[in-house]
Amino acid sequence: MRKIFGYECKRLICSKFFIGIILVILFYGWQVLNRVTILGVSHTAPFSPWSYGDYLSRMIPLLWIGALFLLTFFTSKAEQRRKAITSATPVKPSVYGLVRFCAAMTGTALLALVVILLAIVFYGQMFNWYAWSSLLLPTFFTFVPTLVFALGSGWFMGHFKAWLLFLWMLLPLPEFLGLLNGSVFAERPLTLNVLDPAFSLSIGTVIAQCVLLLTGIALMAVSAAKSKKY
Amino acid sequence: MQIELKELSMTYPDGKQVLRHLNLSLKSPSLIGLLGPNGAGKSTLMKLMVAALMPTDGLILVNGQPLAKAERMLKSNLGYLPQNFGLFDELTVAQFLDYMAALKGLRSPKMTIQEAIKAVNLVEKTKSKIRTLSGGQRQRVGIAQALLGNPDFLIFDEPTVGLDPEERIHFRNLFSRTAQDRLVLLSTHIIEDVQSICDQIIVVNHGRVLFTGTPEELIQTAVGHVGAFWEKDLIIEKGLHITSRVNTRHGVRCRAVADKLPSYVKAEEPSLEDAYIYLISREAVQ
Repeated sequence: MRKIFGYECKRLICSKFFIGIILVILFYGWQVLNRVTILGVSHTAPFSPWSYGDYLSRMIPLLWIGALFLLTFFTSKAEQRRKAITSATPVKPSVYGLVRFCAAMTGTALLALVVILLAIVFYGQMFNWYAWSSLLLPTFFTFVPTLVFALGSGWFMGHFKAWLLFLWMLLPLPEFLGLLNGSVFAERPLTLNVLDPAFSLSIGTVIAQCVLLLTGIALMAVSAAKSKKY
Repeated sequence: MQIELKELSMTYPDGKQVLRHLNLSLKSPSLIGLLGPNGAGKSTLMKLMVAALMPTDGLILVNGQPLAKAERMLKSNLGYLPQNFGLFDELTVAQFLDYMAALKGLRSPKMTIQEAIKAVNLVEKTKSKIRTLSGGQRQRVGIAQALLGNPDFLIFDEPTVGLDPEERIHFRNLFSRTAQDRLVLLSTHIIEDVQSICDQIIVVNHGRVLFTGTPEELIQTAVGHVGAFWEKDLIIEKGLHITSRVNTRHGVRCRAVADKLPSYVKAEEPSLEDAYIYLISREAVQ
């Protein structure tokens, strides 16, 4: 299955769409960093976890679309025609589906990595700042639950109808999640009554993100178990 | 390899009944031609045999075991070319076959990939992206993936569609060689393909088996029911099915099949195509 995974990654990553969305991410991300993040949020430094988290939350809608679009590679009409051949092989449909899902996850992770690397380059170039380890927690908190939910829900819906994925892309949910995360980054420092406070999260926010993450994982598990054959 | 179909029926969720109480026994080595008009149920029958669909009634036995139990074993020994299929356009021919070999669980597939590419005359296109191939070349890639790993049971649904006459002859010979020690089921509309290579024929129409036997036996059923005549001012009788119509200097020469030939039709030796048309037309009358 490693070979299949490799070929699927190649199909996704060498596609025009993937290259296109990377270019959009680079352009939009650079604009956000130079126009918004550079000012810092809530009186914190531009390279504080708060400002960085705000930048990440603004990039979520693009990553959401990217993740769902990668899934359409496996749910399109052309894919249904390929299924006529691939379903006549001895590989278990659930295992095959999981391998392809992992490829979509890898593609999404690469898109997220581009967003992170852009910030790292920006901080290094603008502020000569390289303390990246302090950015790990906001990265995990912002990206992992949202993208796992995007992939899990997208995969689940793609099993029913391919067009549902496009509908899911258009819904303002990623904007909502981005704003939610953004408000956490922009408002929480002000409530802590400390200048340039250390990064921390309220219990409510942690629970909300955990629910999102677990829902995403549950939808992934349901989709993996569901092998649509007949 | 032995495949048995017992009282097999298939009704799609929209209520359309495609197969009705089919009973068949296919045993290797054999090259079986599956004939029937469009919508007769051929493709559905093939999809059922590869477990891509589940029958609404009846049983499929693979070497005596129900298909539900033997599915993995069957698919490990199966080469299948569907009528409508998609390929991974982003991959090269060799990469696609490597991909399919991995799905089929073939270890060290290099040799079998090379053999398959050679068998379908695509050596020059080995490193070409599939999206750059013509329709006929894509069809050949489809045939190549079915041949991977030398499976015991091969199913080809309209394999020679889009191929030029020379290629068709090449593949006819390939199928014939393949069937020397294996079971090959070939669905086609091209009677010539069946006549030249198949040792068994199954004719289906309206979801029922109309005939099973050798091509010679099918031809025998049409003896006395095929004839030729000159079309002048004659009114063609009802029940007379024209199978060919040639404009000559002396008039229009027609060949026809009928349950009872009219007096002006001179009986001739039937061909396999005549026999097939006769069988289908007789069923339509009934």
